[in-house]
Amino acid sequence: MNRSGKLDWSLTVLWVSLVTVGLIAIYSATQGPVAEFLPSYIQINFYKQLVAFAIGICVFASIQFISPRAFKEGSYLFYGICLFLMILTLLIGREVNGAKSWLVLGPVNFQASELMKVATILATANYLTSQRNISAENLRHALITIVLLLVPTILVLLQNDTGTALIFLSLIPVILFWSGLPYGISLFIISPAVIGYLCIIGWYWGLLAAVILTLLIFFIQRRTWLTFTSFVCGILIVIGVQVALYQVLQPYQRGRIEAFTNPEFDPQGAGWNVIQAKTAIGSGGIFGKGFMEGTQTQLRFLPEQWTDFIFCVIAEEFGFLGASLVLLLFMGLLLRILKNAQNHQHPFAQIVMIGIAWIYFIHLFINIGSASGLLPVIGLPLPFISYGGSALLTNTLMLAICVNLDFHKRQLSIYR
Amino acid sequence: MLGLGVIILMRLFQLQILEYDRYSPQSRENALRQEIVNPARGLIYDRNGKLLVDNEPIYSLTITPATYDPEATPLLANILDIPVDTLQKRIEKAQTYSWQRPSRLLTEIDFETFSMVQENIWQLPGIGHQIESKRHYPVDSLQASHIFGYLREVSEEEYQQSNTYNLGDKVGKSGLEAIYNSQLWGENGIDYTLVNAMGQSLGSYNNGASDEAPVKGHNLHTTISADLQLLAEDLMEGKRGAVVAINPQTGGILSLVSAPQYSIRKLSGRIDNEYWQSINTDPGNPLFNRAISSRQPPGSTFKPLMALIGLEMDIITPQTEVYNPGYYYRGRRYGDHADVGNYRLRKAIQNSSNTYFFWVMDKIATSGRLNQWHDMTADFGLGSKTGIDLPYEVEGILPDSAYFNRVIGKNKWGIGDVLNLGIGQGYMAVSPLQMAVATAEIANNGYRIKPHIVHTIKKENGQVVRNTPSRKKIEWLEQADIDVVKEGMRQVVTDGSGRYYADLDSVAIAGKTGTAQNPHGEDHGWFIAFAPYDNPQIAIAVLMENSGFGSISAAPVASLLIEKYLTGEINRPYVYNYVKDFKPKKTTASNE
Repeated sequence: MNRSGKLDWSLTVLWVSLVTVGLIAIYSATQGPVAEFLPSYIQINFYKQLVAFAIGICVFASIQFISPRAFKEGSYLFYGICLFLMILTLLIGREVNGAKSWLVLGPVNFQASELMKVATILATANYLTSQRNISAENLRHALITIVLLLVPTILVLLQNDTGTALIFLSLIPVILFWSGLPYGISLFIISPAVIGYLCIIGWYWGLLAAVILTLLIFFIQRRTWLTFTSFVCGILIVIGVQVALYQVLQPYQRGRIEAFTNPEFDPQGAGWNVIQAKTAIGSGGIFGKGFMEGTQTQLRFLPEQWTDFIFCVIAEEFGFLGASLVLLLFMGLLLRILKNAQNHQHPFAQIVMIGIAWIYFIHLFINIGSASGLLPVIGLPLPFISYGGSALLTNTLMLAICVNLDFHKRQLSIYR
Repeated sequence: MLGLGVIILMRLFQLQILEYDRYSPQSRENALRQEIVNPARGLIYDRNGKLLVDNEPIYSLTITPATYDPEATPLLANILDIPVDTLQKRIEKAQTYSWQRPSRLLTEIDFETFSMVQENIWQLPGIGHQIESKRHYPVDSLQASHIFGYLREVSEEEYQQSNTYNLGDKVGKSGLEAIYNSQLWGENGIDYTLVNAMGQSLGSYNNGASDEAPVKGHNLHTTISADLQLLAEDLMEGKRGAVVAINPQTGGILSLVSAPQYSIRKLSGRIDNEYWQSINTDPGNPLFNRAISSRQPPGSTFKPLMALIGLEMDIITPQTEVYNPGYYYRGRRYGDHADVGNYRLRKAIQNSSNTYFFWVMDKIATSGRLNQWHDMTADFGLGSKTGIDLPYEVEGILPDSAYFNRVIGKNKWGIGDVLNLGIGQGYMAVSPLQMAVATAEIANNGYRIKPHIVHTIKKENGQVVRNTPSRKKIEWLEQADIDVVKEGMRQVVTDGSGRYYADLDSVAIAGKTGTAQNPHGEDHGWFIAFAPYDNPQIAIAVLMENSGFGSISAAPVASLLIEKYLTGEINRPYVYNYVKDFKPKKTTASNE
């Protein structure tokens, strides 16, 4: 153990704080006066989360005894097992809220797609660091990386879990960029997301973004074919989104998007969630309405307030101060992981840490963005805070890996 | 990543701090249901402070389907004494309305049933009650339906236009209830109830500390004499016509009856649809307020006004003699029932000589003063609304040359059309109210009055709004002329057509009978009167439809009312019995 560095207590404390905030919010959302209107299988969620936290502590602790080399060496096997579980889920999984992503193993239900996130990051990081000269600049290497990330994406899509698929998809530019993809191409990869988002607000914004991004790519990369492709792609995306909005999407999907751009259009239907969520956040004010005092939460105006909309509970009952504190905790967590990544000498650990930080961040951004009306409602939980055993354990596992890689820093560097 | 984090922080700042004022009330509105508490409607009193209209509670049962136990249905049906099937249907209807909100199951159940339900309430989960109120009329058998009017649920249109009323609220649709509806209403109170997203009520918010109590409606103090009104209704029972009695000094209405009238009690509270149908299809049209909306020629009751106009125009003096050969000849014969002989003004009024007044009218017309005649008649309030505080008053018809030009055609009307006006026939129509007002104006020596029913509005806080009676002298009238006409009217009662039924020992009455020609059937009888002769306290106009001469139909009614009002009792039971037994002549089928 003398090879080990210092355990990163600040990450540990941040982790405990976030989970505790989550428990407080879940308590309010399921055990407060609102409990009267909730079925008992939802009231019990608080206790299930407590149990998950207890298991999480064990996971967190036991991971620290594993050699970081095991993560690297076992990554493909782990990836393979997870893929198997994913396919198993597709075949015999249970459908909840339209997504067939639950695997029932005796008394335990769990989402293989959660574990898949860890496996994918580990496997990709392992691949990108398996040989000395591997770089994303090399087309073949880049393509293999993309395939490693796309396979789980497709499986998740088949499970009808769009939110999680987005997470996997978003890993592609992040990981490629970190492993040497030039700025211009990275920009090119993320440009569809930016243009698409703006197109939903208004096609002219999308067009404007396409032009600006093209110019940026030109100035950064100075490659004619890239600039040209980027421009054509931009235009195609603008047109594609319009076609998708009015021709391809199912009415209920279009309803969700319209609910995002104009929630007052159908306040009792598709706009309900957005309006109630924004009302909950906005009415919290600076100091909030107090623990278990939020009327939006306690009178059941919020949808899914123990998972996807849990941030509204915090914002309503603890106000801007409480909500900012949560954001601050997250920012502290992310910056700490990134700093550890920077201090680490091994690229495997760096890529893993960055991938994990990114996963936390994209969940955070989409979850709070959805709740506050910045983004269309995409059902993703808030890491460590939302109710959900699989998610909490996976997030804990990922954090434990980060802490482990930092803790056993020297073991990994010597290995190399 | 940091940039996106800052965007989120900025968004939170925007929602929670900048737009707090928008979302905070929104969440409050979400969680609080405002329940409007209707104020108690104002009361109505008679001139002596006797309570005529107040409110009584009605009990409605409500049901909250979510908490209701279907097994209690037989018990509930048993208590309510209605078939289980009927009850089951009502429960299902309530379920379709809302599962969580209480809705009305049965309205206006009697107090006994209500108590029974309350005794068994522990076996009836989900059953609640609402106490509302309906109009109650404490003086037994007093109807005064055309004075008070009835209440009805607000129409969709009124609901849209007003921010006071909710659907289901009852507002005045006729009578004083309509005219003074906003004063009688008061101010709505608000109860705040905490509700959840399913609309379920979670009890009072803030223990009722935020609730706003309703402010009771204002009370109306009227000039109506309950005793006189009761007698007038009694006398007019079974007849068609109207009575308007007025205080000639103030213009306060003492009694106003339109017969037939509807039962005001049957239109209070839950609507009896059968009854509503029946009064709407009744050929007697009980909803029609004849006292202010009927338009009839005044007949001979117009002659006192003609006399005043003739005197003022210097066409006649009290000494002017006109010979009546049994008719008035002007191109053709105009009939006159009065005895053949010479007539001076007083006698012309006393015996209602048509010839005399045809002659006066002829002079007016031939001297080109038809329009002056119109204006002078209009000064008594004919041909325009009197401004009484009741809805649906008519103007009547008082023709001038422009009217004839319009209705008959320029150069197509002649002396014949005008002459008939001299005896209150032809193109002339008045309401009983207008005749009562004109009579009062003769009685009070020529002061214009504005008839009114409400003299004082008392607010809940004691503040008082008075209807100050306006009295304006009709300038051209000379006292000597009025005295002559009054003497003529007095003689009508002592020696003329009024002597049979209107000549009292106890009170000196002056009056004038009249008969309105009715092209659709039997003529209508009129009688106008005031008393006591030297110090008039009451002026009255009675119209009896299809009853022939006013002297035998309307005069006894008027005289009984004057006797009652001025002496407090009736000493002529034979007249009372005569009126009660009086049957109007059968109307012909062509009467619409």
